[in-house]
Amino acid sequence: MSYREYVIAAYAVFAVMLAWDYLAPRFAIARQLRAARRLAARRAARPDTPDRSTELGR
Amino acid sequence: MSDMNPVIRWFHQLGSPPYFDRFAARWAPWGYGVGAVVMAWGVYGALFQVPADYQQGDSFRILYIHVPAAWMSLLVFALMALYSAIALIWRIKLCEILAMACAPIGAAFTAVTLATGSIWGKPMWGTWWDWDPRLTSQLVLLFLYLGVIGLYHAIDDRRTAARAAGLLALVGVVMLPVIRYSVVWWNSLHQGQTIRVFGESSMDPSMLPPLVWMLVGTKLWFAGSLLARARADNLQREAGKDWVRRMAGAGT
Repeated sequence: MSYREYVIAAYAVFAVMLAWDYLAPRFAIARQLRAARRLAARRAARPDTPDRSTELGR
Repeated sequence: MSDMNPVIRWFHQLGSPPYFDRFAARWAPWGYGVGAVVMAWGVYGALFQVPADYQQGDSFRILYIHVPAAWMSLLVFALMALYSAIALIWRIKLCEILAMACAPIGAAFTAVTLATGSIWGKPMWGTWWDWDPRLTSQLVLLFLYLGVIGLYHAIDDRRTAARAAGLLALVGVVMLPVIRYSVVWWNSLHQGQTIRVFGESSMDPSMLPPLVWMLVGTKLWFAGSLLARARADNLQREAGKDWVRRMAGAGT
């Protein structure tokens, strides 16, 4: 194959772009779902009936 | 609501963030998967089936990624502007999300267009870069994409940010005919139009099939990527809502 290095370089650029385009949204979705689970865990750890009278009484 | 046309009803449903999340989670892998298979077939044809060009040798095989990427760079920008216009006129949140999800994908295709064109240009033109009208206008398109992305992330409020960035996308549409006709309007080092959707292409028919596969494959891949990126943005905007917590807790 003539100009082999150039052809390989061009297709490699394309492959890298596709890999990034596939992985970036996957990581972003995983990050959002992790944050949602952390928030759910924080809310679950709170006491069920907060003492609102104390808060209002300040 | 029960008398509504099913297609219109489906569009209304799609505007609901939980419904869109389920839709995108279901169909994004299909876009990626089918797009990857179609492109793999196109790349196989481009590298191993079509004969080498009698003048350019094997370097012409670069066009099988350069041309689809270039078409995508223009198509994605036009789609981003269309979504932005709908979002600005009718304040549809999903269209804001879709418009902003277009930007990084379009920027990536534009970068690939410039990089592969440069790699092809070195052996054929004897230079990596020339301030040629087609190359320069394509570079300006990349800057416009980066401007849209930057503006969207520079403003804290997501809706205000999407409106501002969407306006830039609409203004940027002026670049599309400039890029398209740059090889006609000015003396250009870049070759003129060789592939036509309507009318006869000046490319030999034996060289066309892999290009068609690549053109179809990149569009399917884009659909998958658009849904995945829009889903991520939708989840970020809806962070803290009950449906997101329920869905995250379900082990998705």
